[in-house]
Amino acid sequence: MFLTIARTFKEATNNFLRYAWLSIATSSILMLSLYVIGALILISFATNTVLQSIQQKANISIYFKPDVTAETIAEIKNKLEVNEKISSIEYVSKEQALEDFKRNNASEQVIMDSLNEIGSNPLLSSLVIRAKDINQYQNIYDDINQAEFSEETSRINYGKNRDIINKLNTLVNSVKRIGIVLVVLLISISFLIIFNAMRLSIYSRRQEVEIMRLVGASNAYIRLPYIFIALLYVIIAVFVSMLLLLITVKSVAPYVFAVAPSANVVGFYFQNFWKMLGLQFFIGMIIGITSTWIAMKKYLRV
Amino acid sequence: MVKFDWVSKIYKGDFSALKEVNLEIKDGEFVSIVGQSGAGKSTLLKLIYAEEMPTEGTVYFEGSPTSSINRKKLPLYRRNIGTIFQDFKLLPRKTAYENVAFALEVASVSEEEIAEDVPQILEIVGLGDKMEKYPYQLSMGEQQRVSFARALIHKPKIIIADEPTGNLDPVSSWEIVNLMLRINELGTTVILASHDKYVVDKANKRVIVIENGKIIGDYEQGKYKLI
Repeated sequence: MFLTIARTFKEATNNFLRYAWLSIATSSILMLSLYVIGALILISFATNTVLQSIQQKANISIYFKPDVTAETIAEIKNKLEVNEKISSIEYVSKEQALEDFKRNNASEQVIMDSLNEIGSNPLLSSLVIRAKDINQYQNIYDDINQAEFSEETSRINYGKNRDIINKLNTLVNSVKRIGIVLVVLLISISFLIIFNAMRLSIYSRRQEVEIMRLVGASNAYIRLPYIFIALLYVIIAVFVSMLLLLITVKSVAPYVFAVAPSANVVGFYFQNFWKMLGLQFFIGMIIGITSTWIAMKKYLRV
Repeated sequence: MVKFDWVSKIYKGDFSALKEVNLEIKDGEFVSIVGQSGAGKSTLLKLIYAEEMPTEGTVYFEGSPTSSINRKKLPLYRRNIGTIFQDFKLLPRKTAYENVAFALEVASVSEEEIAEDVPQILEIVGLGDKMEKYPYQLSMGEQQRVSFARALIHKPKIIIADEPTGNLDPVSSWEIVNLMLRINELGTTVILASHDKYVVDKANKRVIVIENGKIIGDYEQGKYKLI
């Protein structure tokens, strides 16, 4: 058995090298499929991180009329906390709001001047509500609007980040959709190309195969070289694809960092290196082995 | 050794290659099968080395029907049979030595055994000094002897030669016939299909005449004749 494997593997590498261009072309298309799959994984990681960081900033603020006391607000807060869509509620007093406002606008002299002119604190106390799920904000907003304490509220502020979140969500979803279509397309093409490469290889070795059969070569001996060739295609494709992904990750990292400092794509690549390698190898093997198997069933007489 | 029991072979498209053939070839026999092209000689041989299966009837090899051979066992079965063809079927990229060694490699024989057996067998067919030559560097007769060496390497019980001299000049043909006679003397059954009168007469052994898929003559020690 060992002899058979060693000899058929040698046969496979010889064949692989003899038709080097065919081999490179076949590996390349498979590599492209795997690369797109890898890129999709990285894109969804990066966008998820960006989304998360934006989502953390999203909130609903309920501003209360100036005469509403802190006690009333605390009561309302308690009532709201029962709502299971809400993850946290933060109370921001007038004074704190003013401080925050001053801090945020310290450089804007005009604003500071006008604040001084007013003399009193023009800001309102508020409750800042964060949802457990980004999609729940609309519901929470509706809940609050229907609540009995609307007498006390001055206004409800929701929508600061709504548009950007929606836009990003749409973008991510369409990227994913295009990616999946691309992956399916590329996998189908890889499948056909490997199938065709195998058919050519079977055809070019038909004389050898005929002789093998006449001299009593076992079926494994006749079939194994093709399996090994497919294996070589996959190994090369996975290797190059991982390398290209690394280059891609390194070159886009600065841009991703600019948008979302928390999205460390290079780190993600290395943390998930073996997982991605395994996944690519697995997908590559499925494509390579099934197409080879069908080509052998169809064209290789044993 | 080989027995045909009411064997018919009909190919796709209703082409009837063999019709109700009954035939027995004994262990150690030398049989020439003669007939014109398309008479059914090749089909008869293919049925023996299980390249084809009979449409009707049974072909027995050493008492068991070829139709009972499991596909996985077919390679093992083929190692009992050495085949030789008009076009030699040598691999052009391999030397004489490698061509013969190939038959052992595919059967998982160790390198040591290959290194021992191949030169021996090439010596027997008279190519001891041309082992490293490629097919294109050899004459037709020499190429056919390489294919003989390859056929013999598994020490087969039977040699099947389909028009082995079809591409050869008279001198080479004579050498090949001599080789077959020698192999036969050593105890191997030989089945030779030929329409070369010279070769069949030279062998001077049992002759079976086949025409339109039917056996029309079987002579114990005969000459080439088409009735």
